[in-house]
Amino acid sequence: MSENKIGVYICTDCGIGDALDVEKLQQVATGEMRAPVCKTHPFLCSDEGVNVIKEDLNNEGVNKIVVAACSQRVNQDAFDFDTLKYVTERVNLREHVVWTQPPNEETTQLIADDNLRMGITRAGKAEPAVPNIMDINRTIMVVGGGVTGLTSALECANAGQEVVLVEKSSELGGWSKKMYKGYPTAEPYSELTKPAIDKKIEAVKGNDKIKVHTNTEISQIEGQPGMFNVTLGNNGSSETITIGAVVVATGWKPYDPSKLEHLGYGKYKNVVTNVEMEEMASKGAISRPSDGKKAESVLFVQCAGQRDAEHLPYCSSVCCNVSLKQAKYVRELNPDAGAYIIYKDMRTPGLYENFYKAAQDDDGIFLTKGEILGMEEASDGSIEVNVNHQLLGKEMKIKADVVVLAAGMVTNLLPEGYEPNNLTEEYVGVMEQKETQDGVIEELMPTPTTLHLKYRQSPELPHLKYGFPDSHFICFPYETRRTGIYAAGAVRHPMDSNQSVNDATGAALKAIQCLEQTSQGKAVHPRTWDQTFPEFRLDSCTQCRRCTVECPFGVLDEDEKGTPKENPYRCRRCGTCMGACPQRIISFKDYTVDMISSMIKAIQVPDEGTFIVCLICENDAYPAIDMAALNRMNLNPHFRFISLRCLGGTNLVWVADALSKGIDGLLLVGCQYGDDYQCHYIKGSKMASERLGKVQETLDRLMLEAERVEQVQLAINEWDKLPQIMEDFYKKIDDIGANPYKGF
Amino acid sequence: MADETVLTPDLGFIKSLKGAGAETMKKCYQCATCSVICPLSPDDNPFPRKEMIMAQWGLKDDLANNPDIWLCHNCNDCSKYCPRGAGPGDVLSALRKIAIQENAFPKGLGKILGEPKMIWLALLIPAIIFMIAMKIKTGYFFQIPEGEVVFSKFFPISLVDTIFVPIALLVTISFVVSIGRFWKSLNKNPYKLMASGTILSGLIATIKEIVSHSKFDKCDANKDRVWAHRLVLFGFVGLFITTNWAVFNLYGLNWESPYPLNDPDAVAIFGSEAAAGLYRGVFKLTGNASAAILLIGSIMMFANRVKDKGFSSVSSSFDWTLAIMVFAVCVTGILSEVLRLANAASLAYPMYFAHLIVVFYIIAYLPFSKLAHMVYRTTAITYAKMANRDVV
Repeated sequence: MSENKIGVYICTDCGIGDALDVEKLQQVATGEMRAPVCKTHPFLCSDEGVNVIKEDLNNEGVNKIVVAACSQRVNQDAFDFDTLKYVTERVNLREHVVWTQPPNEETTQLIADDNLRMGITRAGKAEPAVPNIMDINRTIMVVGGGVTGLTSALECANAGQEVVLVEKSSELGGWSKKMYKGYPTAEPYSELTKPAIDKKIEAVKGNDKIKVHTNTEISQIEGQPGMFNVTLGNNGSSETITIGAVVVATGWKPYDPSKLEHLGYGKYKNVVTNVEMEEMASKGAISRPSDGKKAESVLFVQCAGQRDAEHLPYCSSVCCNVSLKQAKYVRELNPDAGAYIIYKDMRTPGLYENFYKAAQDDDGIFLTKGEILGMEEASDGSIEVNVNHQLLGKEMKIKADVVVLAAGMVTNLLPEGYEPNNLTEEYVGVMEQKETQDGVIEELMPTPTTLHLKYRQSPELPHLKYGFPDSHFICFPYETRRTGIYAAGAVRHPMDSNQSVNDATGAALKAIQCLEQTSQGKAVHPRTWDQTFPEFRLDSCTQCRRCTVECPFGVLDEDEKGTPKENPYRCRRCGTCMGACPQRIISFKDYTVDMISSMIKAIQVPDEGTFIVCLICENDAYPAIDMAALNRMNLNPHFRFISLRCLGGTNLVWVADALSKGIDGLLLVGCQYGDDYQCHYIKGSKMASERLGKVQETLDRLMLEAERVEQVQLAINEWDKLPQIMEDFYKKIDDIGANPYKGF
Repeated sequence: MADETVLTPDLGFIKSLKGAGAETMKKCYQCATCSVICPLSPDDNPFPRKEMIMAQWGLKDDLANNPDIWLCHNCNDCSKYCPRGAGPGDVLSALRKIAIQENAFPKGLGKILGEPKMIWLALLIPAIIFMIAMKIKTGYFFQIPEGEVVFSKFFPISLVDTIFVPIALLVTISFVVSIGRFWKSLNKNPYKLMASGTILSGLIATIKEIVSHSKFDKCDANKDRVWAHRLVLFGFVGLFITTNWAVFNLYGLNWESPYPLNDPDAVAIFGSEAAAGLYRGVFKLTGNASAAILLIGSIMMFANRVKDKGFSSVSSSFDWTLAIMVFAVCVTGILSEVLRLANAASLAYPMYFAHLIVVFYIIAYLPFSKLAHMVYRTTAITYAKMANRDVV
């Protein structure tokens, strides 16, 4: 690549110039690394400093910029050069060297030299992005016509998007339309409200940007953001439309009450669910289903299955408010009646505390933490409930005309007949025995319910637990593991209509954002600037299908032989496919397997002493080191950091590269994985750990200790643990002894 | 064991609790700050948290038989620290009122007299009784006698005895019945009644505690009330002694009020007029000093109730009634004496009549008024000492 011209710019501010031998660094750049341009500046991020670089871009023909200064996470606005024309590489001399190492020590200088070598190598191997921009469709399809779907549709339409609203049933409004009353959502939180869903329905119907399809289900979705082909089915007829993004707002269903026989459901007529209670109240009076007698005493059983490993292991978060509401209207409809609420914990999140207070103030609402020990029907038709009143520490019998089971919320993404506490991993489905040439194997057959995605991995959104669509809960709510498809409302996690309205707005915004990013050929998040795409050298593909299976976002489909078929706009650029590929045929313009291998090779491994290379995730581990640096913590000097987009991109060849070069240990620092994962790409750090599990067998065969390679999980806020993690690993490797390949 | 009674909503009871001064009880969310802050609450199964939920739920029987509400001295530290303004101190004092009514014998009378608007009827009853008695004895319903003011000329001592002795007897019977029931109900408690000591030793320890006000002294938020209560208690004790002394003077020494020093019986007993004078002086001093102590105490009680303590402490009508009656008995008694000495017959006799009415009110309605606390509290503290639930 003769047209490459690398310019290295070393900043000497922020203590760099005082702690390092800058001349030595210049020698590394211009001497052994052969950079044609290398300049130092006392204040590189100033206009004056940036102008030095710009001069060289314009006049010297420099097209690859190595900024040897501060962390890549700061001053991004200053070192912002056109990514379609230039490669910009940030070498971290400040946080990763001078702020975490003693000044003017030999070891400190060695780290800086290596970092510069690796940065120049990376820049040399990287190419500017080549954008892939296609015409996209900007219509947003909202699935579900309840309060969430209606709100999402209105929000999208108000933002100028065309909207298609698909509703399975014959009318809009969902559960909100069936509610007798709602609980208050504003001060003073004491009066119940009439649901205002009708206004919303009218607004949607009257909005000419929203096309409503009732009695309609989705029979297939194929394609990618900006160009989904959706087949809609309506009473036997079908229609295919093109849309850009999807908001899934299909809501919830009550937990199957037939499983609550231990709480009397099905056994006694006067035991009803909270949904049935709402229906009863809509008819105007609370009375015993058995004989129609006006109810004088109603007992609510909270957590009717929720927070119980046998039923719904999670809290539905709304049922406490719902029961308080129902207790309130039991009292409104009959001022002589009493309402008992037996709860595990009264959970009225946030300002709903005020509603709890208001309900508590009612003379006839009796609350206690307690447990239902049993119940039986009395001769007068009422139910006598045995309660362990835990606030009094005594057992008592309470007479109730109606017992209401506060049943929990189950996501509508869960197909009928599936139990939330007993689901197959990742994709909801059934395990089937399959005859293959290798004998009978068990294979998961995912069950379609709503979206019918024509994706290689599954027809529905992957779940993490209990059927709720998986997403990075903290950083990217509404996101699902299918780019361009956003979940909102109770389908995503249990929530009330008030929260659902917020959720609907958020998801609408994400859908619009996705279309905007896609139209520019950029990743949706977290690499929102990234215009690179994975590229496949398919002539070397062995159809092993690892990339198509491991991609956290279902980007890749397959042809019948198993060759990956790209859907670039589904991609989030994590590089998990790149790490998975044993043939190393997948790369990005500025991120390749060879690039990291070359960086490892560029490191000057000392002949003596334990030496470790550390692969770090750019999202959490990298800033964690920066934070340790801000706090001036000293780090072990025998480590070299290489930043990856995600540990999911770890290719096993790097392990071989590192160990064969005589590096004694390889430490991977990435996000927590498992149920409470923090990986920005959902599965990246988990995939890395699975791959490492395999490489360790290989290491054993090579007579190298498996312990030389280790992955640790580190959250961004655990930066203070970093020095100890590094010390411990160093000690461990030091105890194992030198890599026998050292010096070869 | 599950309670055999089946709980049903009792909204009427909850309303009456709220009416009795427990308006804030529903605000409690069971954090138990009150139980932690209370200097008088035992470590095990402490009050007033559990009483708050009993009140919210309207568990009438549990509340009536609860000895712990009597261990509370209403110092209101709990109300001061309650994060929800649930006023456990006020709730407990309302519960005590309800407990008195529920345990009173005969029960109906307790309910009637607990009503604030019944106070006029309650005062009218003794007035009518006295007037009828006077009519029978003296021929007049209300006749102010001539000459030097001597109260027995207006309302003969024999009438006092014929009315008050049976009343005292009835009061005693009422207390025996209701305290007997209360004491028995304590056996249901998880704390064993006879865990330590005998009733006598428990009672002695309790009386020591009452005399010293050692528990009451632990109060922080409402410290001034301790002295007020102490003075009122000692004032009453002094007057009780004086009254019995007077009975002794009359029947033992045959020396009748106004205790003339030249009374031959007295001289015969004391040997000289001077000795009789000394005896009478000590006797009178005891009575007057007790009255003065009671007056100071009752004024302090008023002051404390009026004074804003910076936390909400609601005084119920039940509480006010007693405070007013104590003050009234004191003022009418002292004024009767002053007016008698001034020989202002037209004022002295009516004042004496009023005094008798108030005394009747206090004694006859004792099992139903707030003053009944002296019996319930004594019982409950004795029980607490015997059941090892005493806080030292």
